[in-house]
Amino acid sequence: MKGCIFNIDNGYLEGLCRGFKCGILKQADYLNLVQCESLEDLKLHLQGTDYGTFLANEPSPLSVSTIDSKLREKLVIEFQHMRNQAVEPLSTFLDFITYSYMIDNIILLITGTLHQRPIGELIPKCHPLGSFEQMEAIHVAATPAELYNAVLVDTPLAPFFVDCISEQDLDEMNIEIIRNTLYKAYLEAFWSFCKEIGGTTADSMCEILAFEADRRAIIITINSFGTELSKDDRAKLYPRCGKLHPDGLAALARAEDYEQVKAVAEYYAEYSKLFEGSGNNPGDKTLEDKFFEHEVRLNINAFMQQFHFGVFYSYLKLKEQECRNIVWIAECVAQKHRAKIDNYIPIF
Amino acid sequence: FGNRFFCAKTFTFSFFQAHLEKTEGDIKELSESAVNLKSNFLELTELKHVLEKTQAFFNEQDEANGLDTAHKALIPEDSQNISIRGRLGFVAGVINRERVPAFERMLWRISRGNVFLRQSEIEKPLEDPATGNEFHKTVFVAFFQGEQLKTRIKKVCAGFHASLYPCPSTLGERHDMLKGVRTRLEDLNLVLNQTRDHRLRVLVSVAKELQNWSIMVSKMKAIYHTLNFFNMDVTKKCLIGECWVPCKDIPVVQKSLADGSSACGSSIPSFLNVINTNEDPPTFNRTNKFTRGFQNLIDSYGVASYREANPGLYTIVTFPFLFAVMFGDCGHAIIMAAFGLWMILSEKKILAQKDKSEIFNIFFAGRYIIFLMGLFSFYTGFIYNDMFSKSLNIFRTRWYVNNSRFDPDSTATEFELLPKANYHGTPYFMGVDPVWQLAKNKIIFLNSFKMKLSIIFGVVHMIFGVCVSTFNYVHFKKYSSIILEFLPQLLLLIFLFLYLVVLMFMKWFMFSATLDGWLDKPVNKHGSSCAPSVLIYFINMMLMSETPPNEGCDMYMYEGQHTLQQILVFGALICIPTMLLGKPLHIMFTKKNKTPKPVNVSKKSPVFKLCNFIFLYTLVLFRIKPTGDINQGMELDEVPENRPEPNNSTHPEEEEEEEPISEVFIHQAIHTIEYTLSTISHTASYLRLWALSLAHAQLSEVLWSMLFNLGLVREGYVGVAFIYIFFGAWAIGTVAILVVMEGLSAFLHTLRLHWVEFMSKFYTGLGYAFQPFSFKNILEEEDAD
Repeated sequence: MKGCIFNIDNGYLEGLCRGFKCGILKQADYLNLVQCESLEDLKLHLQGTDYGTFLANEPSPLSVSTIDSKLREKLVIEFQHMRNQAVEPLSTFLDFITYSYMIDNIILLITGTLHQRPIGELIPKCHPLGSFEQMEAIHVAATPAELYNAVLVDTPLAPFFVDCISEQDLDEMNIEIIRNTLYKAYLEAFWSFCKEIGGTTADSMCEILAFEADRRAIIITINSFGTELSKDDRAKLYPRCGKLHPDGLAALARAEDYEQVKAVAEYYAEYSKLFEGSGNNPGDKTLEDKFFEHEVRLNINAFMQQFHFGVFYSYLKLKEQECRNIVWIAECVAQKHRAKIDNYIPIF
Repeated sequence: FGNRFFCAKTFTFSFFQAHLEKTEGDIKELSESAVNLKSNFLELTELKHVLEKTQAFFNEQDEANGLDTAHKALIPEDSQNISIRGRLGFVAGVINRERVPAFERMLWRISRGNVFLRQSEIEKPLEDPATGNEFHKTVFVAFFQGEQLKTRIKKVCAGFHASLYPCPSTLGERHDMLKGVRTRLEDLNLVLNQTRDHRLRVLVSVAKELQNWSIMVSKMKAIYHTLNFFNMDVTKKCLIGECWVPCKDIPVVQKSLADGSSACGSSIPSFLNVINTNEDPPTFNRTNKFTRGFQNLIDSYGVASYREANPGLYTIVTFPFLFAVMFGDCGHAIIMAAFGLWMILSEKKILAQKDKSEIFNIFFAGRYIIFLMGLFSFYTGFIYNDMFSKSLNIFRTRWYVNNSRFDPDSTATEFELLPKANYHGTPYFMGVDPVWQLAKNKIIFLNSFKMKLSIIFGVVHMIFGVCVSTFNYVHFKKYSSIILEFLPQLLLLIFLFLYLVVLMFMKWFMFSATLDGWLDKPVNKHGSSCAPSVLIYFINMMLMSETPPNEGCDMYMYEGQHTLQQILVFGALICIPTMLLGKPLHIMFTKKNKTPKPVNVSKKSPVFKLCNFIFLYTLVLFRIKPTGDINQGMELDEVPENRPEPNNSTHPEEEEEEEPISEVFIHQAIHTIEYTLSTISHTASYLRLWALSLAHAQLSEVLWSMLFNLGLVREGYVGVAFIYIFFGAWAIGTVAILVVMEGLSAFLHTLRLHWVEFMSKFYTGLGYAFQPFSFKNILEEEDAD
């Protein structure tokens, strides 16, 4: 039934999104890009793709950072166009997507101010999808409570922040904790929102979000080794909407080294595969890359079904991966470091 | 192509380039200073507003204070109250209107309610100096207490992009400042207006020139692009370019080269040498606006090989004619011809229009074809006596109804007209007698007529195609092929298919319906009931068999027909091995006793007599001196003499390539099989003339009887309305289906008949088109982009 009336409100946007998705670079395009001798070549090749003339107005010595920002700009324009056209509940869904960027921005700004950087220098580094009105005044806050009361209370992030108010002051450790707590709250909220929407959206999105949650849990655990983070505190940071919940998370909370984490992942078929192929030796793929690859697979799957919102999230994520790929290739080309140029993650 | 452009333009171009750069710099500088001035102006306006608005706040406050003090003069805390107010600090500034609510909330939150914010909107929208967009702003004054709060408020202000302005706290200072700001604003306004005017003047003058400039730039680009193809001479003193030039135009090129040299003012002329080459020259058919459409039809099949006979000329007549055979209907023809004529007459107007749809462009390019097709169709329509499926009785039908043979009381609506009784004996003056329109056997009659007609046209067309191939053989000096290929091909066609045509004519002349008796009378040998079937004759001739004739009729039309037919078949059969083996054997023998003959085939044979459409190219070498190199011109003189030799050595004279003899055999076998089979299949293919003509006539009849006829049954006012409606439907149907769709289908079939049935007899079409350097084409292309 949902499918029947889906197109009334969201048909255009889904079509648009699928159209945008067709512009995602194919393997053949990557093969062309990898052949490039210089960034100018890269620009030329990108002109032949859906990106068109997005670098046309840039002055000649092209830098990787301009490419990066231009790529991002194009993506943001596309996403914001969709957001402006969207109606409930898609608009809320799309807003939810932007919240993760808000969290990143807030953390970036706080860390920046902690290191006495002028705010004007930090603002351009923020992701444009996650900007909000009060963002630039964030440095007035000195404690989490103040941050909440003065700045965040008016933003949609307020409900996620409630758990962090208890932290005493803003130092690096606490910022990390704030970030992860925010993320945890955000993921759980997003997950239950998708469940609430139900139907195919829930099917596809919960799968992706569950993976996202599990990835965060695993990464938090691995990164916490050798820091002063206690096991209890660590357990509090795990998002509880993934497949690891509850047994896996409990096991993770007890883990003390990488091998134990791996042992936990052994119980879950899809994660054990990721751990098996990864390693830190040259030639091996890192665990992070493996996670990215898995994420790309999940996101591609979202396009296999119709009449759901997952395509918007997946499109954004795939496109981000593509930006990372292009930037990676561009970096390799710019630094004449061709050995690792093939380490991008192909999408189609 | 002439270096006149090169020299003349280079001079101007260096100036031109400098001029362009200067203009660009000027404009950039102007806009930059304008932006600076504007942002200055914006700041001052904001300050002015701040001063004005805060004035109101302070006044209000003072008044309130005044009231307050008047009211509460007796209350002892008064002095303390004033002292507290005295210690209040404030910041004044301007903020974007849409950010005000969040800003206010934020201030309230960070100070826990201890900031007092007053605001007032600036009514007039301000202008962003960089983009020129308008936006609204609000003046605010925030009152607070304490230094610490001040820094935090300032942080918030920075976060919200509010611009803060110094605002003196006393009335007098504010007044003074306001006065100063106003005078500065006025000055600035003056300067701004001047800048704007100046910029406008510069831009207007540029806008006038822009069109010319862009044309000049694209011309220069094209010239430099071509110059890049030039080679530097060994002495590096001159440039050498090779190009194809039509032989006929060599004097023109030489003249323009001379003109160019003199325009440069150089004493050393540019040279043009003709080089001999073995490369295949491009094909260039000079066309005018009339022939271009027809030539395009040919070129879309394949550009003619160099100096090959070009069917374009014949197509001008045969194409509309074959089309007309299929499209024969006076009414539709008039519509088509009128459309073609309209396009031809308003040619200039349409050409001047830029925004034409692509489909219309296609029709427009073929306007002369359409017009001719319309005219020819009118003729065939007249012969078929068809006008919107109706016949015209112009010359009085030669049939009459003779009632004497029929019972006058008979209620029969159909009369049988017999040639003997109801025919005048002389045929209708021209075309098909309109009486056939009423006949039940109209289709049978027309089928037989049109079928024979299409075979006749087909055979003639094909024989003509084979004959054209002699032009090619003569021009390419393959005289042996005339005997070994052309002759057997021609004889095969003549012996079998032309004979078929002859039989048809004999049948038409020798048998007459008027010679038939009444049904019960004995038949005449030349009556229609004795008329033989030409098809059966033909089949029998091929199979060497016989069919017994009707009673009382002759088996053959003339004496010795059987013998003649046998001779013809044998003759035709002999043609096949001649085609198959003649040429390879000839090559084999000539190779054996071959004396090395110098190849005399000069590519410079001056005139091509047989086909006027193909012109000749010679590779032309010409030199252009680097400009401004007049002093070193002395060395140049020697260069031209030795140049051609290295050039020739790069294209060594090659012998005609030797194919192995087995390949020659295989090729020839393929050609022979193809040709022999094609004589039959192509002849049959011409039957499409009949089929389409029949379909067209039937369709237009259906449209009339099924649609327009329905509108004719009512009378009175209802009838008028009916006719109005049905005529509309019929007219639309006629134009859309019969003229456009049927026209397109007949066009395609005609195209096929030309490409496959006609051109396969002589045309290879392996050449490539000549692409002359032309400013006109280049500019048009740029326009299209």
